[in-house]
Amino acid sequence: MSRSFYPFENFAPAPQQVSLLPFQFTHLFGQELLVNEAGEFLFAPEGTTRSLLEGAVDVRSNLYKDLKAKHIVYDETSSPLLDVLATKIRTKYDHLSGGTRLHIFVVTLRCEHSCHYCQVSRQTAAKGEFDMSQETADRSISLMLDSPSPHVTLELQGGEPLLAFDMIQYIVPKAKEEARIRDKGLDIVVTTNLACATDEMLTYFRDEEIRISTSLDGPAFLHNKNRPRPGNDSYERAIDGIERGRAILGHSNVAALMTTTAASLDHVEEIIDEYVRRDFHTIFLRPISPYGFALKTKDRTGYEMERFLEFYKQGLAHILNINRSGYRLAEIYSQILLSKILTPQGTGYVDLQSPAGGAWNVLVYNYNGDVFASDESRMLAEMQDWTFRLGNVHKDNRRSLFTSEAALKMFEVSCNQSLAGCSDCAFQSYCGADPIYHHATQGDMYGHRPTSGFCTRNMEVIKHLFSFIKEDNPETMKIFWSWLTGSPLPAKRGTCD
Amino acid sequence: MIEEIHNQAPVQKASNLIQINHKLVSVEALLKTCYWFSRDFVCDITQDGLGQSIVDLKPKPGCRMALGDAREQFTAQAMDFALRERVTAKTSEVRDLLLAKAFSESGVLEEQPQGVFGDTLEEVKPDGMFKILSNS
Repeated sequence: MSRSFYPFENFAPAPQQVSLLPFQFTHLFGQELLVNEAGEFLFAPEGTTRSLLEGAVDVRSNLYKDLKAKHIVYDETSSPLLDVLATKIRTKYDHLSGGTRLHIFVVTLRCEHSCHYCQVSRQTAAKGEFDMSQETADRSISLMLDSPSPHVTLELQGGEPLLAFDMIQYIVPKAKEEARIRDKGLDIVVTTNLACATDEMLTYFRDEEIRISTSLDGPAFLHNKNRPRPGNDSYERAIDGIERGRAILGHSNVAALMTTTAASLDHVEEIIDEYVRRDFHTIFLRPISPYGFALKTKDRTGYEMERFLEFYKQGLAHILNINRSGYRLAEIYSQILLSKILTPQGTGYVDLQSPAGGAWNVLVYNYNGDVFASDESRMLAEMQDWTFRLGNVHKDNRRSLFTSEAALKMFEVSCNQSLAGCSDCAFQSYCGADPIYHHATQGDMYGHRPTSGFCTRNMEVIKHLFSFIKEDNPETMKIFWSWLTGSPLPAKRGTCD
Repeated sequence: MIEEIHNQAPVQKASNLIQINHKLVSVEALLKTCYWFSRDFVCDITQDGLGQSIVDLKPKPGCRMALGDAREQFTAQAMDFALRERVTAKTSEVRDLLLAKAFSESGVLEEQPQGVFGDTLEEVKPDGMFKILSNS
């Protein structure tokens, strides 16, 4: 049985007043990619922007409906929905509310590894002047909890923090008690190479609900090459620590990160396979940070960003194949960007924010009480560059740190909306500003986008992810959505379920 | 119109002249285009006093782009920046209002902005926030 309806015109008159909403555009895969202020996007035919400006888009066309749905145009029938767009923009910037959430305490500079790319000074493992004092720890805890954020994360870092385990045992109960008094949530993470982790330490972490973040650069030959230590056994110790850590703390409370050195570039599949073999379900294909000793040892560890991008693309292809085989493995940088592209949410990832995450999202309290805008800022200070030292816990409070000359200079160039090369970029809402990176690599916080490794990397990675989105392969998109939502992976190839 | 007026070969000795009519592409849009070409080229700009500029694209050592491609991309990008200026001109007021509304509900502003969409200049609300701000 069929039922006829009145024509469309009987229900909704054609819009008379069509207005544009703010958007950016670029050309991608033979189409125009239009992105609105909240990061929602639309692939449209070439010439759409010009047609919009000339009022030449047919208001009865599907293109017009798509443009309206994506908040690129509005008319008298959709203007009330603009409050929804304002809400979407607010949601994207949610990471700005509440103040600094991540607080990194450098409890010691001592470390028994001598990694070529290490971003901090390598001191001998003898206990001495490079440990945080109790007075500095007390002031740092107080400053951390002065953050308006109702929930903060305390990351205990080094050097190798387990070499100052007594300081960890001092800080943890102090921070917990102070957080309880101030009615704040507190997560604690220890970043360690696990080489000297004893079962007693791991049991302490379990009892105190502390999570572990460690380093795994790939299979033994690569990890041991990147992370030399006496005995040349950093890989064996890391694996042993990961297994004991999982047994004592629980599988999900031990995470690993890798750093890509020049030696890694030809081994991306072996690195990924190592993560699968060790039963990790996330991997972060991270380029080397151009700070600290990584700058000094550039010839040994450095490479062109273009070479890293080949590494990343080859790695992502391999990771997708692993997911297709039924093993969930998310690539973290892609996951962060896909979240920004495909969902209303922003992310808390510090290195890809506008305003930049330095100070707003992370503060670093060095062993001697110096406070930095990010871990990278501290690495620069180890190379005698104090540009991003905001102050010292013994002299400053939160207000003076945030109004210091160092902070204000940085904040001035922290919004990509106002930076040359970024202000017109279609990927602006997915990307960020990174004055610390540009200061380190170009000698200028403002940065020069056409020659910036940060810009090259993000532009290329975002375009690469859009190539998958444009292709719209159901299997690939299901994998991406499973990374974002935890939904099931697509059924394995060659199976009937 | 943007016009290619000169293309000398061979590439390594060539300079490439592009004529820009500022009735179509503003000086700002031209400078933004030059900015993006500054990795591979030195862009020498001269103005002819008749509302036009001549851009001389000189390849830098290690330039990764062929001159022919560069010329084509330069003109296309200049036109894109001109389009972006027109989009910005048409949308900057509603953008300000959107951002004000977005952040006001986060508690950043003490009072709700009073503007209404479709009346971004708040002509019907002379005491609206934007009127007050623009008069202050």
